[in-house]
Amino acid sequence: MTTQETVSIAIPTGVLLDGARGLLATSGLAALSAEELGRQLLVERERVRVIIVRPTDVPAYVDYGAADLGIVGKDILWETPGSHYELVDLHFGGCRLVLAVPNASALDGPQTWPPLMRVATKYPRTANAWFEARGQAVEIVRLHGSVELAPQVGLVDGIVDLTASGRTLRENGLRVTAVLGSSTARLIANQASLKTRTASVQSVVSRLREASNHAG
Amino acid sequence: MQLGGVPGFRDLLPLEAEILREAQESLLAEMRRWGYRHVITPLVEAMDVLDLGLGVEQRRRLFKFTDGRGDVVALVGERTVPVARLVAGKLRTAALPLRLCYAGPVVSTEESRFQHRRETYQVGAELIGASGSVADAEVIALAAKCMEATGIRRYQIDVGHAEFFHGIMDAVRLPEDVKAAVRTALGARDFVGLEALLEDTPLRSAEHELLLRFPALRGGLEILDAAAGLVRNERSEKALAQLREVYDLLTDHGIGDVVILDLGAIRDFDYYTGVIFEGYGPDLGRPVAQGGRYDGLLARFGRAAPATGFVVQLDLVSEMLTRAARPPELPRVDAAIAWRGAAGLRGALRVGSTLRLFGMRAVVDTESRSQEAARNWWEAVGAANLIYCADGSTVTWSARGQRARRLPPEQVAARLAGGIA
Repeated sequence: MTTQETVSIAIPTGVLLDGARGLLATSGLAALSAEELGRQLLVERERVRVIIVRPTDVPAYVDYGAADLGIVGKDILWETPGSHYELVDLHFGGCRLVLAVPNASALDGPQTWPPLMRVATKYPRTANAWFEARGQAVEIVRLHGSVELAPQVGLVDGIVDLTASGRTLRENGLRVTAVLGSSTARLIANQASLKTRTASVQSVVSRLREASNHAG
Repeated sequence: MQLGGVPGFRDLLPLEAEILREAQESLLAEMRRWGYRHVITPLVEAMDVLDLGLGVEQRRRLFKFTDGRGDVVALVGERTVPVARLVAGKLRTAALPLRLCYAGPVVSTEESRFQHRRETYQVGAELIGASGSVADAEVIALAAKCMEATGIRRYQIDVGHAEFFHGIMDAVRLPEDVKAAVRTALGARDFVGLEALLEDTPLRSAEHELLLRFPALRGGLEILDAAAGLVRNERSEKALAQLREVYDLLTDHGIGDVVILDLGAIRDFDYYTGVIFEGYGPDLGRPVAQGGRYDGLLARFGRAAPATGFVVQLDLVSEMLTRAARPPELPRVDAAIAWRGAAGLRGALRVGSTLRLFGMRAVVDTESRSQEAARNWWEAVGAANLIYCADGSTVTWSARGQRARRLPPEQVAARLAGGIA
């Protein structure tokens, strides 16, 4: 097994794309212009092949081995645990998963929660586990977009959602009452790639790790 | 009515079924060559038997129900525990070591993340009653030869040791609750979480470094030397010495070039007690074969005995073969035998049984046809040859791309058999 094999890496569209692009450039693995990524979803370079996919699809590409490595937010990994290795905290794309309620709501700490809490979220698994660990009965309403709207129209008591600056929450009249977890971008690896093509995959991993340490 | 079947359970159509069956037969044949005896354990086991052998997660995924007498039973999710029950029960007077192999479907209530199947096929071998490196190496070498036997050309066997990890966990100076968290993080292959856990602890030891470098602790014999320089506990040192023995034996078995030592192998550490291994084929994101030493299991059934074994995931073998550069083809029917009238049918049945005696695949038509209609039927069957019997003495033989010829039936059979041989 030679060290010159191409390593494929899945990177997410959306908020982490610029960070991932910066990291690939700093590490010297691939300089990709924003314009280039707008045109194609598969970019081949000398040592790496970059696959651009939706953030939630990154674990699937890696778990099935279509990509050797993936860059993905920890928030996605909470929801879709798989058989991959989580190798490096890349220190960008920082955000928090919070429980937010309307400003006017009486809900605050656990002692103020109703017997059955109703919560809207795109993170049903994580939210469920968190409430369960606190002995709180919860009804999860799974939504796919504009979660902030749900408590304002009385659909739910609160929301569990991701926030970086807190601005969207404030603009929608919501305040944070609890933090479920902190997320940053992670480097994940397919278990077989790590074992059957160790040298080439590990060399890309170390370069990305080094680049993320310099940036962070 | 659902013609598609129950989700997670699926039909295997002729091509896939044939590939799977052939792979299963090659595996069992290889195991037989090593002296492993075939046993068949039932699809259903008593829950109290399975409770003894399986972990909480495995038990949760079983299809459970009650039989007519009110006992809770389950469909098997693996077959090592049933084999252990057999060895401690009906085979308790059989002298150890016992070499046993098995094949069959296993069922889980959860769809596997890959392929979305709840029913999968496994072929496994167990060597029960033998401890030590020679037994460990035998089972690993058998697993390697099994992968070859199915027609997988490129493969790799990763060999590790459960005791290496246990020794590190004993020696590492951490509070018990942190140790539990370390196990959880490793089980989830979460090295970012692991790093965070170990960063907060004041005492940095060589064991810390080893844990953090777990996925990179791989290679040839040099990795054993590197690790030996770092560990300072007896359990890990013993594990390293055993791995060296096993590696040497595997070289003598002639498979040294496909073996990689993997000290960071992460498996079910509550179950495995010694050497563990995984077999990987090309371009498939997960292991095709998995196994290792489980010296604790038999004692739970009242017949303490060391044991080691492995299981091959037949669905993955079949997927690998189907997606190979030259995928296997469904073997063709050799002869379609059509006929007209009572004399023709008698001739057709005779030709059919002669061809089958030569090991050929022959289909005899179910209705009388004209010669023209017979050619259409031949197309539909997709056979290599058409033999048309209109009377008892001669038949018309057509092969693809050749002119039809009238011959006595024995001559057609001889020519076909000759062509095939």
